[in-house]
Amino acid sequence: MKKVLGIFLGILTAIGGFVDIGDLVTNAVVGSRFGLSLAWVLPVGVIGIIVFAQMSGRVAAVSGRATFEIIRERLGPRLGMANLGASFLINLLTLTAEIGGIALAMQLASDIQPGLWIPVAVVAVWIVLWRVKFSIMENVVGLLGLCLIAFAVAVFLLHPDWSALAHKAIPVMPSSEHPSTYWYYAVALFGAAMTPYEVFFFSSGAREEGWTKSDLSESRANVLIGFPLGGLLSLSIAVCATLVMLPRGIQVDSLSQVAMPVAQAGGKLLLIIVILGMVAATFGAALETALSSGYTIAQYFGWPWGKFRRPAQASRFHLVMIVSLLIGLGILATGVDPVQVTEASVVFSALALPLTYLPILLVANDPQYMGDQVNGRYTNGIALVFLFLILVASIAAIPLMIVSGMGA
Amino acid sequence: MTDASRLPVDDSPRGTVLDAHLHLLDRQIVDPNGMPIAVVDDLELDGVEDGPQDASGAVRVTVRGLVTGPVLWTRIFGGRAPEHRYDELPWSDVGELGVVIRVDKPADSYEASWTERWVRERVIGRIPGGRHAPD
Repeated sequence: MKKVLGIFLGILTAIGGFVDIGDLVTNAVVGSRFGLSLAWVLPVGVIGIIVFAQMSGRVAAVSGRATFEIIRERLGPRLGMANLGASFLINLLTLTAEIGGIALAMQLASDIQPGLWIPVAVVAVWIVLWRVKFSIMENVVGLLGLCLIAFAVAVFLLHPDWSALAHKAIPVMPSSEHPSTYWYYAVALFGAAMTPYEVFFFSSGAREEGWTKSDLSESRANVLIGFPLGGLLSLSIAVCATLVMLPRGIQVDSLSQVAMPVAQAGGKLLLIIVILGMVAATFGAALETALSSGYTIAQYFGWPWGKFRRPAQASRFHLVMIVSLLIGLGILATGVDPVQVTEASVVFSALALPLTYLPILLVANDPQYMGDQVNGRYTNGIALVFLFLILVASIAAIPLMIVSGMGA
Repeated sequence: MTDASRLPVDDSPRGTVLDAHLHLLDRQIVDPNGMPIAVVDDLELDGVEDGPQDASGAVRVTVRGLVTGPVLWTRIFGGRAPEHRYDELPWSDVGELGVVIRVDKPADSYEASWTERWVRERVIGRIPGGRHAPD
């Protein structure tokens, strides 16, 4: 019974933890501009993150090696350092976006301007990193993040014409948009679904919680059920924007607009729930990205890391997280729009994807690490297909960004 | 058909063959309690120029120690760090070679972990709650 409960809890946290500020913003922007003609990217991204998150978790459980330790071992110091530099900067950008997201969501709830919420958010994130146990942190923010189901509820309350909606899901480029813009947002959606910090966090989290081979079936259930349901939440954000914003020609460029369809459909009560979900989702992702900044650097240099140790036993790891939070605070203090930081972070994520996912695939096939738990033929087949897609997205990211003028 | 006694006897020294590049470099070093110390950034070799030669004329090179610290930057960018800036763990301390390299002494007894101790004493240990486990 306890085991069933554990699996259930794991699935719920996987759903609640799936969506972050990148998903919130990108899905709403895409829904308001392209309707559902880009909806096909979501399942592609979800399957990709399932394959590689599951693989990195399995490697961590069997060999005890987290993802960035593997990157260093497999790519060597030079390419590993290049990867560390790129991953760390993107992670920092994402962390900044998530902190800004917390502040924007709190603004929706309180009407106090985000500039005042930002320092509060940074301190709150730090206190959780400093004092709260990993499993409690994971479960609380994951369960609260489930409030985002309000988006799915809103879709039903809006009484859409389902057949027309299904018709819109056919991948046709809208004639009003330039093809480069269409593909730019396709890459952004893909990057938002497959952000590298998720595997850094997932594999390091497996070590934090002391996974062994026997926990693998549980983690598989979490990922295989939780992530697709989380993907459905992302999709419902896009559907909400398609139903409410697209016909009126409103472009989403703030978090309040992301929540607007929910307010229209479900009134104040549903709006309160969705704001709670947004706070939890951005707060949870801020924790995950802050931890990932510590994980990546500590694992590259071989320092002690992890929340299962006392802060003094992993002092450099905690110092990196503190410095990262302060840099995020500094970036936001310049008054930059967190929504734009988010849009940049998801596209740059796509850029760094191949260097993160290739080493995981290599090690998952290495018997010295994995024993008889090496990848099967089908996993390798799917992983190779996705590695190709990742490579294409990564090569196309910068040219598309320039040609489309960042999706303008 | 085959007469086993006629086959040449293999009297080469028994043991695991390790590829220094694959199995030593860039591997994690941990102490007996599993506490990470550092990553092997480079190896200190003895006898590269003046080592004893064996029958075939090959020079016998031995590993003196695992090097870590600032040597990483010279390995990436080239050049050579001054010898006194090497943080070396003697090869004789190595107890186990696997996916990670286990050494026999506790992490804090090595010079290689001085930055960890410095940050602990000067920064993290001084913040309230820094020395307690999260709860």
